[in-house]
Amino acid sequence: MGVRVECVCGSGVWRPVRRVPDRTPSSLVKCPCSPPVSTPWIFPPQKYNADYDLSARQGADTLAFMSLLEEKLLPVLVHTFWIDTKNYVEVTRKWYAEAMPFPLNFFLPGRMQRQGLQPSRVVLARIEAKEDATLLGGPASLDAFVFSYLALLLQAKLPSGKLQAHLRGLHNLCAYCTHILSLYFPWDGAEVPPPRQTPAGPETEEEPYRRRNQILSVLAGLAAMVGYALLSGIVSIQRATPARAPGTRALGMAEEDEEE
Amino acid sequence: IYLVAESKSAEPWPENATLYQQLKGEQILLSDNAASLAVQAFLQMCNLPIKVVCRANAEYMSPSGKVPFIHVGNQVVSELGPIVQFVKAKGHSLSDGLGEVQKAEMKAYMELVNNMLLTAELYLQWCDEATVGEITHARYGSPYPWPLNHILAYQKQWEVKRKMKAIGWGKKTLDQVLEDVDQCCQALSQRLGTQPYFFNKQPTELDALVFGHLYTILTTQLTNDELSEKVKNYSNLLAFCRRIEQHYFEDRGKGRLS
Repeated sequence: MGVRVECVCGSGVWRPVRRVPDRTPSSLVKCPCSPPVSTPWIFPPQKYNADYDLSARQGADTLAFMSLLEEKLLPVLVHTFWIDTKNYVEVTRKWYAEAMPFPLNFFLPGRMQRQGLQPSRVVLARIEAKEDATLLGGPASLDAFVFSYLALLLQAKLPSGKLQAHLRGLHNLCAYCTHILSLYFPWDGAEVPPPRQTPAGPETEEEPYRRRNQILSVLAGLAAMVGYALLSGIVSIQRATPARAPGTRALGMAEEDEEE
Repeated sequence: IYLVAESKSAEPWPENATLYQQLKGEQILLSDNAASLAVQAFLQMCNLPIKVVCRANAEYMSPSGKVPFIHVGNQVVSELGPIVQFVKAKGHSLSDGLGEVQKAEMKAYMELVNNMLLTAELYLQWCDEATVGEITHARYGSPYPWPLNHILAYQKQWEVKRKMKAIGWGKKTLDQVLEDVDQCCQALSQRLGTQPYFFNKQPTELDALVFGHLYTILTTQLTNDELSEKVKNYSNLLAFCRRIEQHYFEDRGKGRLS
């Protein structure tokens, strides 16, 4: 269908590993199905279009169902992961804290939680778009959209999972998710997908950067300590011959003792 | 002693049912007018009589804070969704004949209209500085004396801007919003095709909602015509509005909608 992507394991960074020749003619450069609001898409709609084979009517249906999902499912997702206290403390905050560098992991998850409280409606609605996959022939952007919501809800190990239990009862949706998982995420097998794939995922750093940052922060700390010591006179560097150095240092320390 | 349980649905639709909205000439805004018209169209399609009453404090009278709301018997119901449910409980429905898949489609398209058209209307009237300065502030505060008119208008603007930010529309430019309106109209036009209504022969609540919004956009004078131009690009949508206006408003002796 398109470009194969590979998850650089452990960091959650996605990048295309092999390009498929671009089939999009110039007339489809303006994708009719580009998502309405804030869904982050990895590829710009001009180059890679999952909805290439859909008719205009199906494109319209896609847009409509995306709106439905955003309106009904997104508040539920936000509630399940951010507002429900048990889930937030045991699952969500832990995920984000592990993924973020110091010192962001202390206040960013809390800030995201406060932002999640803003959308005023919290709806525990019945999931009604049951026939999505069968309405539109092959897999399309709508399937990616629906999958992104459902997979998260199904796979996350939530302590307080009323919605999860409800969703597990809808067997066709569960089969749908497992099908997509096995087709497009074969390396994960039956495991939980890396939590960093959540729609509003934080920026994670690759291994070498993390190491470099650690070294840099240690060096910065050391430099700060040495600088302070020098400036405040706790340690003084005397331009003296090595033979006299112990003596002058002792003198320096004696002076300090007198001052104290 | 025996208790008689009276259910709400037992009472038939009364003759004196009223719909409340803000003052038509000087106060009501684009988005509220669209919502009110959608409910009026829906009730007309169900053949239920309703009287429209304009009150300056309609927004505050409403149980949910949104207009319009209807007062039927001793019940007060606001917004199209709950009104459709209420009317259904009374035994009138436009979507009973639809299959499950069609009902899902109808709900999806209604959400599309709310998600894009309604939000675009709110953006235009509260976040576009030109419109806010020239039209919205003056209209919204018109029934109140100074300084209340300014205070209420700023308060409402702050509220709407906060909501826009929460749903990710805070950073959008006017051009992007108009692009979204165009996409929405394109989708609606595709879905309607050459049919008289969205689900062929009979109108449903989706038709009422789309009519409410499109008709209001087409007939409301704003600082510029960009919004109505987007809708005018789609001839089947124009014909659709005309058809509903003729059939449900003019023919019933209600006269032209202003």
